Formats: sequence, C-alpha cells, structure tokens
Amino acid sequence: MAPSTDWDEIKRLAADFQKAQLSSTAQRLSERNCIEIVSKLIELKLIDVIFTTDGKEYLTPQQLVREIKDELYVRGGRVNTVDLAKELNVDLNQINMNISEIIKGKEVQLVSGYLIAHYYLEKIAREINEKLQLQGQISVGDLTLQYDLPADLLQHGVLERYMGKIIRAKQDPSDPRIFYTEEYIMRTKAKIRGALMGLLKPTPVSLIISHCNIAERLFMYLFDQLNAPGVLTGRQSGAQYVPSCYTKSQNEWVINFYKQNNYLEYDALTRLGISDPKGYVKRVLANEDMNFLSSCVIGSQINQQLETALEECISSKSYLDVLSLLPSVLSDEDIDNLLEPLLKKNSRQTILFDKTVFSNNFIENLKQACMPITQKNAEAVVKSGKYQQFYLEKQLAKSDGQQMVQVDHKAERREERRKKASSGKGGGGTQGRETKTKAVKKHLRSKQVTHDSDTDDASSIAKKAPSNLEIICIEDVENCIKEQLENEGLDDLLTQISEYLQGHLNQTALTIAKELAEKLLQDANQNRKQTHSSAQDRINVLVNDIKLYEKGLKLFPSDQQPQFVKYLLKSFGGDILSEFCKYAANQCNLSVQVDILSVEQRNKIINDLSEEYKKPLKNLNSTISEQNMEQFYQAVDICLTECGMILKKVDKKKDKLLVQNHREKLIYELENCEEPALILHLVVLALFTILNQNMLHASGRQVPIIITFLKSQLKEEHFEQLQKYHELVTKYLTAQEDEKGAIEEKLKEDMSLMKNIVIEVKKY
Amino acid sequence: MVDEGTRKTLSSIPLLKTKAGPRDKELWPTRLKEEYQALIKYVQNNKEADNDWFRLESDKTGTKWFGKCWYVHNLLKYEFDLEFDIPVTYPTTAPELALPSLDGKTAKMYRGGKICLTDHFKPLWARNVPKFGIAHAMALGLGPWLAVEVPELIERGVVKYQEKSDEAK
Repeated sequence: MAPSTDWDEIKRLAADFQKAQLSSTAQRLSERNCIEIVSKLIELKLIDVIFTTDGKEYLTPQQLVREIKDELYVRGGRVNTVDLAKELNVDLNQINMNISEIIKGKEVQLVSGYLIAHYYLEKIAREINEKLQLQGQISVGDLTLQYDLPADLLQHGVLERYMGKIIRAKQDPSDPRIFYTEEYIMRTKAKIRGALMGLLKPTPVSLIISHCNIAERLFMYLFDQLNAPGVLTGRQSGAQYVPSCYTKSQNEWVINFYKQNNYLEYDALTRLGISDPKGYVKRVLANEDMNFLSSCVIGSQINQQLETALEECISSKSYLDVLSLLPSVLSDEDIDNLLEPLLKKNSRQTILFDKTVFSNNFIENLKQACMPITQKNAEAVVKSGKYQQFYLEKQLAKSDGQQMVQVDHKAERREERRKKASSGKGGGGTQGRETKTKAVKKHLRSKQVTHDSDTDDASSIAKKAPSNLEIICIEDVENCIKEQLENEGLDDLLTQISEYLQGHLNQTALTIAKELAEKLLQDANQNRKQTHSSAQDRINVLVNDIKLYEKGLKLFPSDQQPQFVKYLLKSFGGDILSEFCKYAANQCNLSVQVDILSVEQRNKIINDLSEEYKKPLKNLNSTISEQNMEQFYQAVDICLTECGMILKKVDKKKDKLLVQNHREKLIYELENCEEPALILHLVVLALFTILNQNMLHASGRQVPIIITFLKSQLKEEHFEQLQKYHELVTKYLTAQEDEKGAIEEKLKEDMSLMKNIVIEVKKY
Repeated sequence: MVDEGTRKTLSSIPLLKTKAGPRDKELWPTRLKEEYQALIKYVQNNKEADNDWFRLESDKTGTKWFGKCWYVHNLLKYEFDLEFDIPVTYPTTAPELALPSLDGKTAKMYRGGKICLTDHFKPLWARNVPKFGIAHAMALGLGPWLAVEVPELIERGVVKYQEKSDEAK
C-alpha cells in the first residue's frame, strides 16, 4: 500500500513538476524584456509615459500632475520644484514641463523655483498681520528674509492685496515697502514729541533716533506732523535738531557778548553750535560795523581804541603794547592784519616789533645809547686793520666776479691805446701814456688803498652786503639797551630790537669806519709824501757832500786819489744806496725795521724789490765798488728819476757854509774827544779842512798820507809834533798789552798839544 | 571551483535526505519524491529568476529521464534534446547526462553524447552523497557545460539556429 501511495504521489509530483515547468514559462516575462517592450512602445509613440529617476517605474503625465498637486497640498501650498523632483522620484525636467499645466489654473504660481498656491499666500498674509500687530511695523525686506520670497511678490501679491482685508496696517507713504499699524504711529509720534520737548541743546538727529529706537525715515516723516518746538538743520542723516529755546538763548548770548566785549570769537560761536560763524554774525548783528578776521570778528570800537592809543604813543614818543589793547583771542596773523592799515598811516613814525609798536623816537633814543660803543668799535676795527682787510677782500671778490668784465675793459683800453699810437700823436703822447699806465699798475700792485675812487667802490660794496663785516655785534647792542628795556618791562623784545638796531648801527659803524679809514689813508699819504721829500733831501745832502769831498780829495796827487774815492763811495755811496733802498722798500711795501742798513740787508732789499726799482739800484750798488765817480753819479741819476726825485742845484755859497760847518763840527768833536787815535784822525782832517778850505773824507788808514800832504802847509814844529804823535799812535796801536799803558800816558800828555795845533793853525 | 551564480542557485535547491537507488524497492519512491520536490523547487527558482532553461520528464519508474534544454545566445534560442538514466549505484554515482544531438560535435563529450563534466563535479558530488540529486546534477553539471560549450559550438558553426525551435514567444 505504501509503495502504491508512494507511486501515486510520485505521479502527482511528476504532474506537478510538468505543470510547474509549463505554466510558468507561459507567464513569466523578464524585467529586461519589459523595459525593452516599453521603450519600444515609447519609440513607436504608442504610449506616453514618464520614467521615474531610478527607471523602475513609469508614470503618465496626468498622474504626475495629480501627484504634484497632492504634494503641493500636503506641503501647505508651497513646494520647491527640486524637492518635488526628489519626492516624486521624477526627473526635474519632466516636472518643469508639467508645471505649466498646473500654473494654468491661476490658483498656483511659480515663483523662483517654488510652486505657490493662493491659499499659501493667504496664510502668509495672516501671519504677517499677526506679526505686524505685535511689532507695530514691518518691512518687506524683513519678510523677504523670513519667507524667502521675492520682495515684489510679498509687496504686491501679499501685503497690498490683503491690505485692509486681512492685514490691518498703513503703508509708509515715503517708503512703500514699510507698513505700520495705526497704533504704532501714534506711539512713535508720542515718543518723538517727548524727546523733542525735552531737548534743550542742539542734538544730532541720529542721537534722537537711536534713543527713541525708531527708523530715521519715520522720524523725518513724523517730524513734520508734530509741530515740534524747534527746527531741523536738514533732512539728511547728519542733521541736527535745534530747539528754538536754544536758538533764542544763543542769539542773546552772542549779542550780549558782543555788546560787552566788542568782539566775537569764531571758536566760541562754533562751540555754541553755530556752524557758519561769519554768516551768523552778519545775520544777527546786521547793523554793526565789524571787521572780520581769521579767527574772530572785531567791532569798530576796538579799532578806534587802537588808533587813539597809537596816536598817543607817537605823540608821547613811547611804545604801545598792542596785545594789552586787543582781545587775547586774536591770532598773530589777525593782529598783523589789524595793525597793518593803522601802521601804514603812521609808518614814518612807528616800528613794529612782535606785537609792540614803538615810536621811532623811542627807538632813536635806544640807538643813541648805543652810539658810543658803535664809535668805539668802529675805531677799533679800523685801527686793527680789520676794516681794511674786509674792504680788500671785498674788492678781490668783486674783481673775481667781474674778471670777465675787466678783461673786456683791458682789451678795450688796449685797443684805445693802439688807436692813439697809430694816430701818431708823437713822442710826448707816448710818454704821457706810459706814465699813466704805470700809475694804474702801481695801484694794482701795491694793494694799498690810496685812491678816493677805490674807497667809493668799497663802500658801495659794503652797502650791498653790510652783514659781511660785523663791527658791532648783537650782544653789544643788547648790553647797551638791556637796562632801558628792562625798566620798561620790554626785555622779551630785547633780541628783536637789538637785531634791528644792530643792522642800523652796523651801517653807521661802517660809515664811521669808512670815514676813519679814509682819514687814516690820507694821513698815510701825507706821510708817504713826507718820506719822499725827506729821502730826496737826504739824498741831495749826501750827493752834495760827496761832491764836496770829491773836491777835497782832488787836491791829492792823482795816484793817491783812488784810495779816497774808494772810501768815499764805500761810506757815502753806501749811505745813498741805503737811502734809496729804504725809500724803494717803502714803496714796495717791504718793511725795513732798522735805520742803518748793513751791506747784506741792502742786498736783500734790492732783491726783494719790484722790477722797476731793482735794476737801477743794482746798478748803483755795483758802481759803489767801482771807484769811478762819474759812473756813480750816472747811476744815482737814474735812481733818482726812477724814484721821481730831483737833484737840487748846488749853491756855491752854501758849499762854503757847509765846509765851514764841517770844520766847526770837526773842531767840536775834537774838543770832546779823548781817544788818542781818533784825536789824530780828527786833527788831521780838521787841519786839512782849515788849510785847504775843502772837506776831506778819509779813513784812519789814510792819515799818514794826509800828514805828508800837510807838511808843506804846516809850520815845522807843528808838523813835527804831528809826526811824533802819529808815530806814538802807530806804536800804541801795534804795541803789546803791557806797553800800552805807558804809551797811552804819553799820548795823553800830547793830546792838548794836538788840539792846540788846530787852534793855532786856525788862527793863520 | 564553481562560479558564484551557480553556487547561489545550488544553495537554493533543497537537499535530499534519502540514500536510495532504483534497486531499493522500499526507499526509491521516497528518494524519487525528494528528487521531484527538488526539481520543482529548482524550476520555480529558475522561473522566478527568468532563467528557465530546460524541460524534463521521466518514465514511471523514474529511472529514465528525457526532455529538452536550451541556451539563448545573441537573442537566439538553441534547443537540444536531453536524456539520461539513473545508474544503479545512484545516488553514489552521478547520472550521466547526454545531449545526443551534439554527439561528435565537441571534444567535451563521451560517446553517445554524454557530456564530460568538469574535474570538480565528481569529487563535489561524492562529498555530497546523498544530498545531491538530479536537480543538482542539472545545475552543477549541464548548466555550466552549456554556458561554455554552446557559444563555442555556435561560433564554430557546428550548431546552427533552427527556425522551428521558436515555439517560445
């Protein structure tokens, strides 16, 4: 049984198996086949369906529209298309394509990607109304942010549409985007009124607004309806509210202050809150005569005061401190401006230092006080040579600056000279010109200030740059006037006044110095002239002496003459040369300290001399050792012409007188002489002079020659005495030290004898 | 050893419990019942997966099985006759599936159209005696074989598409 049931069962199972195999094959259609089929159908335009994004479902457009509508309703009337696409699992494009279907009905609109149904807007309107009642005011801008909807839609689609229906509010007339409730406006008005009533001083609108916590625009709008006790300075945000009580008190203050003080400071006005002080003052004090300065306004009264004080100051020869008369608020510039017209009227009589007006007389007095020191300093400067130096430097600087001009000048002069030469005026003309050029040269070379024209030049330069030489310094001036100013309490102006005075005083000092220098120069010139004539005189005397001595020595035999000539030239010739040297050195600005020049000194000077002197003097120097009188005279002549001197004619009578003088001098010297050798010398010379009526110049060495020469003219005994004495002297001079005493004794015994000879011979 | 798809299919086929061959008069029907149930389940699974690929029926004793199997290649359905006997040593020995129409057309075949199964099949089967049945042999043996061999045969031109076999829709 069991097997049979088993087999039945197997049969059934087999049947089941077959059934399973067959049935399923008939029905089953695979997914991909389905997709293929549908896409084929779509391709053939047989059906119109939409894929879902995952591609697993198809929708008809009608279904989509319905679903969108449902979704919109579920979401309260507002839905984003993108959200829709996600929610419905449909491509956004498909949704967008089908939205037009939905929008057609006017009940739903598409706003920036949102589908919005009319009942949503109504809902918003209700919400807004609630909010508005709560806040009092509301702006479209805030709503835009809150609802994330375009302002335009909110403005027209919601607020304006439902105004009066759902929303109970007023639109701000100046800004349609803001809405208020009636109560809010009333409240705000009250707030503003309270604030404005309470204000006593000008207040920026912004401050009021921030205090009352309202919108500026609303403030401006409501302000006009308030009849506030004051005015606004403007409609901009920077405007101020000025209470009328404040304006009134301001005006009062200004008028009172002006009446009291006769001036108004801009700063003070600004502090009172007046933005345009000048205009304000003009407006408020329209009928006053006022002077507008940079920092304040001044009434005519102050001006008049100042004027009177100034006149008084001038008439009383004192000074006036302007600051004490003017309000302290005036700036320096203002004071200057104020003083300018006044001082212009009196400019001759006043000087302004800092802010103090001085009458000229006062200053003049101060100046007088400084005159002594000025004089002193000027003298000192001239004496020390500083002025001359300064002057010279000035001139040098000038010549440097005008070198070009000078060259031109020179060229011109040369041209002129050539013209003159070519015109052939003759020898005389040439000579004249030469002397002229020489003169010019001399002045340039000598660097000495000798000509008036030069001094003029210098002074003009000094005027050009007076500060170059400060004869009197500021400190000096200060010291002089310090006391006087301190007495007046003006020591703070000391430096200024001193500077001013110093300039003037320095000018004066320069003038004084100039005068002094000129005077000094004139003196020097006179001196020079004197040196010139005295040198000329001395040379004349010397030359004359030489001539006389020459005459004397001519008495000697000619073979003995050269010795004398040599000695004569060496001594007197040397003297003449020295004289020339000294003069020339003076001319060339070489200093000669000693009076008597040695040979070396002479040579040195000659070498240092300028060319024009050097040559003739050198010549002269050489003739001195030549023993030739003629040559010597010629050289002397040349030297004299070179030095601009002349040799005076020799007066014969005078010659005799000279010889006589010489003789007396010799005798006088003899009488006073104690030295044995010198006595012999003098005796011999005196005897020669007496006997021959001629002077003789000889050295001690030539004494024996003269004695022999005198032999024929003397008495025998005199001659012998002379001879003896001469021998003794010779012996004395050559003797040893121990023998000298004895010989000297002897000589002294004979001394009077010798002197007697002269006296006796004189009596011949 | 077997690809993922096959393994999955395999796991969804119910396992058999009775170890009995056709000779065991007592237990064979039980075994056969289990075979049928497994097959039904397998076919159902295949249908669900739109992977129906054979028709099979047996004689009364359940020792001789025949039917058709097909393979779709390039949207064309290639159909082959299928037959096999249950060996006496079954279930220890796996049934030898044969496609007589392909006899001599491919190297992977013994004489008489019996398909050469993979090296893995036999040890797998041996390990799973008596749990594996005909359904498993189909899924594990013929299925993969067809997948590998038919495209190649078609490519070689050995097998040609026949119009008559389009009795499926």
